[in-house]
Amino acid sequence: MDVFILLLEGIFVSFEPLNLGLLVFGCLIGLFVGAMPGLGSVNGVAILIPITFIIPPTAAIIFLAAVYYGAMYGGAISSVMLGIPGASTAVATVFDGRPLAVKGEAMTALTAAAVGSFVGGTVSVILFTLFAPPLAEVALRFNAPETFALMVMAFATFVGLGGDDVPKTIFSILIGLALSTIGLDLITGKPRLIFFNIPGFLHGINFLVLAIGIYGIGEMLWTLEETKGKVQMSKLSVNMKEVGRAFGALKKTIMAMNIGSFLGFFVGILPAAGATPASLMSYGITKQLSKNSKEFGSGVPAGVVAPECANNSASTGSMLPMLTLGIPGSPTTAILLGGMILWGLTPGPLLFTQEPEFVWGLIGSLYIANFFTLVLNIALIPAFLMVLRIPFAILAPVIFVLCVTGGYAPTQSLHDVWLMLLFGFAGYILRKLDYPVAPAVLSIVLGPLAEKALRQSLILSDGSMGIFFDMAEKPIAAIIMYIAIVLLIMPAFGPLYRKFFKKAQTT
Amino acid sequence: MSIIKKLALVIVSLSLVAVSSVSSAKPFSPKKPIELIIPAGQGGGADEIARLVQGVIEKNDYASKPVIPINKKGGSGGEAMTYVKKKAGDEHTLIITLNNVLTTPVNQPELGIDFFNDFTPLARLITDTFLVWIATEGKNTQGVETFDDFIALAKGNGLVMGGTGSMSEDELLLGMMRGQFGFDAKYVPYDGGGAVAKGLVGGESDFTLNNPSEQMGFYQSGDSKALVMMTPERNPAFPEVPSSYELGYPDLEYYMMRAFMAPAGVDAEVEKYYTGLLHTVYHDDEFQTFNIDDGKLMSWLEGFGLKDFLAIEYAKHGEIIKNFD
Amino acid sequence: MSVTNKITVKRAEIAVAVILALCSIALMIKSVENRITWNAEENMGAGFLPFYLSLGMLICTVLTIIKFVLKRSPQSKDDSPFIEAEAFKYIAVTIISLVILVLAIGYLGIYFSLIFFLAFYLRYFSSKSVLFISVFSLITPVLTFLFFEWLLKIPLPQGISEPLFYPVYDFMYS
Repeated sequence: MDVFILLLEGIFVSFEPLNLGLLVFGCLIGLFVGAMPGLGSVNGVAILIPITFIIPPTAAIIFLAAVYYGAMYGGAISSVMLGIPGASTAVATVFDGRPLAVKGEAMTALTAAAVGSFVGGTVSVILFTLFAPPLAEVALRFNAPETFALMVMAFATFVGLGGDDVPKTIFSILIGLALSTIGLDLITGKPRLIFFNIPGFLHGINFLVLAIGIYGIGEMLWTLEETKGKVQMSKLSVNMKEVGRAFGALKKTIMAMNIGSFLGFFVGILPAAGATPASLMSYGITKQLSKNSKEFGSGVPAGVVAPECANNSASTGSMLPMLTLGIPGSPTTAILLGGMILWGLTPGPLLFTQEPEFVWGLIGSLYIANFFTLVLNIALIPAFLMVLRIPFAILAPVIFVLCVTGGYAPTQSLHDVWLMLLFGFAGYILRKLDYPVAPAVLSIVLGPLAEKALRQSLILSDGSMGIFFDMAEKPIAAIIMYIAIVLLIMPAFGPLYRKFFKKAQTT
Repeated sequence: MSIIKKLALVIVSLSLVAVSSVSSAKPFSPKKPIELIIPAGQGGGADEIARLVQGVIEKNDYASKPVIPINKKGGSGGEAMTYVKKKAGDEHTLIITLNNVLTTPVNQPELGIDFFNDFTPLARLITDTFLVWIATEGKNTQGVETFDDFIALAKGNGLVMGGTGSMSEDELLLGMMRGQFGFDAKYVPYDGGGAVAKGLVGGESDFTLNNPSEQMGFYQSGDSKALVMMTPERNPAFPEVPSSYELGYPDLEYYMMRAFMAPAGVDAEVEKYYTGLLHTVYHDDEFQTFNIDDGKLMSWLEGFGLKDFLAIEYAKHGEIIKNFD
Repeated sequence: MSVTNKITVKRAEIAVAVILALCSIALMIKSVENRITWNAEENMGAGFLPFYLSLGMLICTVLTIIKFVLKRSPQSKDDSPFIEAEAFKYIAVTIISLVILVLAIGYLGIYFSLIFFLAFYLRYFSSKSVLFISVFSLITPVLTFLFFEWLLKIPLPQGISEPLFYPVYDFMYS
């Protein structure tokens, strides 16, 4: 029970005046950068590293944790209000969050995101406190073959996401994967698919460029065509009845919260996986297990809760490989890690015993940050909803400005802004012809992770795929792989099975 | 339309004012934030030093404008170098080096980077070295106590080495050792020194050639041990690890340099300013303490000394690459 | 009859499928620059995945074309215009103004380009007063500057307008 005392101490530390002030300020900054397309917690965290030389390390880490958590929420806000995922962790939030907003139920979507995130954050802090040391051992054994199996599973949970036209859906998946191979090949160190020798392709195609293009530019063009620039983004009303309804809708999302919290945490602790696959898998699995899985994608609160719950849970979980193994799961944790090293802390197995105040101060402040962002978010919902009241003719150019700055900022390259325009236009045309675009975005997010793990595994096995099915040597990889295969073929056999089963009942 | 015309007028007149105000010859001082290009991703060794330099400058007000680190990791630093090349004459751009500035121009001739003419070397602050690491409980390296044990084992068995990416420093080092000791290993690239260290302790690889700081956590916990350090002398951060000179392998010497360069074609005044700024950072107590504790070698070098050093290293890397395939 | 009526959904469907097929082929050809084999002697080459992924893309587009020829897809029977004339005008104006914006960013810098873009776009699409448009077009770049350069310290491209910002930086960091 010592850990609980340490955690409580960590939480109390967060309430010192300086720390509390920094916490609230950090949450606000995080919310802002998270809600801006193209910017994420990484930008918020990066500017703070120099400041942390001036304030004590504990205050610094509290500040950084607040930014991190604030940005997690912020991503959901831009997914719901603008339809543009603010970060890769919020991609799945667009799928149902956006339709909800368009239906006039933005309030429900934002409430679901805030409460879901809070639940995910809470469950993961408890799990972290109880199981951190033994789980560090699991994370250590989770190597390339296991990671690849997990990626296959993530794809498998998304089988049902495409449209009705099978060739067009598969095309969308493949083009996302193909785009993700552009850039430097990690394994051979050779540049790959550098079209016309343009140096901009050397850094590959960031998922954000595709996502902002398709969901930002493409969606705007789509709306422009539908409305001819004359109407508001959506219907909207805020009154007490709406508030009650928003919270009432959460009752149906308990399963999504459970899946999101636990799955999110366990995927989050795996090195190199992190919050993005966690949120995608959580959405996919919740959809598959739901009684009304057909309604997913048309705006159900559970479709917002599942990814939001999972990404917050996973971001707490991802602190584990960062602290104990020194592996950053994301650019943000990479900078946090850099900060830790600059403060003279050495990430590694000994950190928990050598620097308990730091570790539990971090976890405690994550929790308090989580609580504050919930309060801030619920309080700010009316302000966010104002966005929807802005006439489309004014909102559209503002969104274009956000897209351009968001396309530029992550890589500081105009090349990416051009690509973003191209993807936006192409995405708009393809969408008009019933090519589903979501699978391409998912593929470009997961593709690089999957390819790297696959090819690392193949080096170890001298090119044999057997490494993924070897129950004796790599049981974890094999088990995940078999589950993934079952998930992959289930949708194909599902209707057959049901048909057979029903016949058996009637006869 | 009249608004636009007026605006255009304002812009033109403002720019005239600005242009006339900058064209006087004074000692250089930065007029806008200084971009510090990092040819690697967030969280790596170069990134760490860049952000440390940024922090030290900001905290002590060493410069009148802030330093802004920008990561351009594409193409083994190729993207960063192309960017700096294009910025020839720009007075507010610096680049921190990894050794990929020595290898990428050779490996990717299509980028058209001329190492000697596209950059203005300012100063070398630090050199980082490499160690041969094995896991304490490594299943394929049981009983290995010394570097010679390791060579004997590696010769007979195809060991797996974890590294930070193909054609990066550690794979070149593997190539160098292959020539010297006659063993080969299966090279598995990860991204980042942290992942390499974890792969070793997690049992996926048998040995690594990591920087000191990348393995520090597992070294302190006793999960991994170092067999040799590729320097003439022992390092105070790793007192019991022998140097390659002690073991009788003076050819096994390798450094990663942390130097700073400006684009080509900057004025001598600008060069002087930044070299002076870096010198101030170098002698900052916090900067010194941090790097020494982290096992790095403080090794200031500027001017002709630096140019000679770079020429030698460039030739040496060219040689390694040539022998590689 | 305008041009937009001639571009029917049917025609757009086949044109896009053919363009995508050509893109897939181009991608396959580009992939061959890296080794695309994967066999017992040599492990998976760097070009293997891009090559077979683009082959898969090609197969999908061919299937789409076959479905079109056999009239199995809804688009293959749809003779309505792909886009209405009025909507086309809006889309075209938007895309062209965005392209000009990005071109201008490279030369004039982002902050001044934004002023012109916003002024034009709002004038064209909204019925707001000149005063509102002027204020809005000037304030947005200022806020963008404060947010990116001052708060987040992310430099945005300034092109030839860079010297104009030196006094601003002097003021910010003094």
